[in-house]
Amino acid sequence: MKAGLTTSVVMHAALLGFGLLTLSAPSALEVADVESLPVDIIPIEDLTQIQQGDKTAAVNEKPAPKPTQRPDIVADAQKIGENSVDTEAKPTPEPKPRPVEAADAPPPSPEPTPKAAELPKPEPVKQPEPKPEPVPATEVKPQPEPKQEVKPDPVAETIAAETPEAESVQLPTTAPSPAARPQPPQAQTAKAPDRKEAEKPAKEASAKPKSDEKSFNADEVAALLNKEKPSGGGAKRSAEQASLGGDKSTGGSKLSQSEMDALRGQVQRCWNIPAGALDGEALKVSVKFKLDPSGALEGSPEIIAGGGGDGAARAAAEAARRAVSRCAPYNLPAEKYDAWADVIVNFDPSEMF
Amino acid sequence: MENIALAEPSAQLSIWALFWQAGWVVKLVMLGLLAASIWTWAIVVDKLIAYARMRSSLNRFEQVFWSGQSLEELYRTLSDRKTTGMGAIFVAAMREWKKSFEKGAKSPIALQSRIDKAMDLALTREMERLEGRLGFLATIGSAAPFIGLFGTVVGIMTSFQAIAGSKSTNLAVVAPGIAEALLATAIGLLAAIPAVIAYNKLSSDASKIAVRMEGFSDEFSAILSRQIDEKVAQKG
Repeated sequence: MKAGLTTSVVMHAALLGFGLLTLSAPSALEVADVESLPVDIIPIEDLTQIQQGDKTAAVNEKPAPKPTQRPDIVADAQKIGENSVDTEAKPTPEPKPRPVEAADAPPPSPEPTPKAAELPKPEPVKQPEPKPEPVPATEVKPQPEPKQEVKPDPVAETIAAETPEAESVQLPTTAPSPAARPQPPQAQTAKAPDRKEAEKPAKEASAKPKSDEKSFNADEVAALLNKEKPSGGGAKRSAEQASLGGDKSTGGSKLSQSEMDALRGQVQRCWNIPAGALDGEALKVSVKFKLDPSGALEGSPEIIAGGGGDGAARAAAEAARRAVSRCAPYNLPAEKYDAWADVIVNFDPSEMF
Repeated sequence: MENIALAEPSAQLSIWALFWQAGWVVKLVMLGLLAASIWTWAIVVDKLIAYARMRSSLNRFEQVFWSGQSLEELYRTLSDRKTTGMGAIFVAAMREWKKSFEKGAKSPIALQSRIDKAMDLALTREMERLEGRLGFLATIGSAAPFIGLFGTVVGIMTSFQAIAGSKSTNLAVVAPGIAEALLATAIGLLAAIPAVIAYNKLSSDASKIAVRMEGFSDEFSAILSRQIDEKVAQKG
């Protein structure tokens, strides 16, 4: 027995010693630091509401049109497009500008002419005839003339220097100008006596000197121009291609799903489900009530469905009515008051079991 | 109850530290289980040695017994020594035989029964010596886990009371107490498992030895019975 005991003691001592030395504190469990993810709760409303766009357009990441920074030319424009006029026409891609190279060659010669002819556009037409005209116009002109004389000579000199140039340049312009509009009246007048020709210049002269005097009014001319682009489209300014959307934005007027859930939750909190409701189907109650803009109950809630018949159904109806009035100030988005001014809530106990 | 585990939540978790942090009940349980384990292994080692010796002595005796040597001579050599196993049975039977014949036995049947009784007694004593303390192994094998569990339960109770006191459920506060309490169960299992295995092995070894010795005693009884008959016939 002695041998056994000593053997056992020695063995245990060795084992314990080994254990104490090697099985010291286990290494601490390394826990990786997991970064917390920020979570935003986004109302579904932004996704469910249709934005204005083109029904046939491809889905685009960026909704178009963007509100422009420029003031709208047409105040209450309804149609999308780059036009200055609000038209029904669908926007079509603008015609490509004509190649500029072709235009490069001719301009140099005509360019000088506009400078001289810019203010008195009609002048080139008259130039062959107007020489007698200055006579009626002299009544007005004499006044500036002395001024010109008094004024420093260099100006006059420069004018004088320019005029020959202008005349020299205008000579070629006469060739294109008759080709445009003035010819048809000439053709008509050819049949008629010269009086008409004489009268016309007189009329034109009486009108033209005025324009010369008042200084040319670009606005009047601009007002007469047709600003409607051939590309069509409305005046609602946006350079973007319309993305998928409806004819109108529906945003804002309807309660979104999450807001409906919020309202549902608010009502449900105060709802004591009628006890002993064996047949949930018979206890369905619809309650209609009005709310004022602050969310408070207006008038008393009205039961529009259910609640008839035996005691349990009536109790359920009363429970529903109590729930609505007890939770009375409802917290709802004020800007959508139109949507929740009248509310109908369906109470269905069968869904609660 | 001490608030040991919670005094320093970041306490060491080595086995020694766990033992030292434990409450006195748990400490007592652990020490008891350690002592039981030591005693178990002492018994196991002792029994293994004893059984090996017994088997070799049985082999040697059988060799000598069946070598054709005269039983009287064998008895003379063995009676001086301290004998075990079959030797003890043989010596007991021969002593009874000698005593009866020296005094002149009258009835051979009574002699036969006396010799059988003497051999049974010797066999029983031998088996008692062989199987002694095996019961302790069985006890440890079944009870040690429960003792360890008791220590664990007490330890966990203590640490939960301490947690309630500290009003913190941080795992760093809870864990050391529980780890320390679980150590008691671990020690209990550590003591019980070898005890159960050793008990099963040793008891089966002991029964094998017992079968061998019973067989020898039956054979020797037959031999003596024949001798008695021969002696009676010679006398008559």
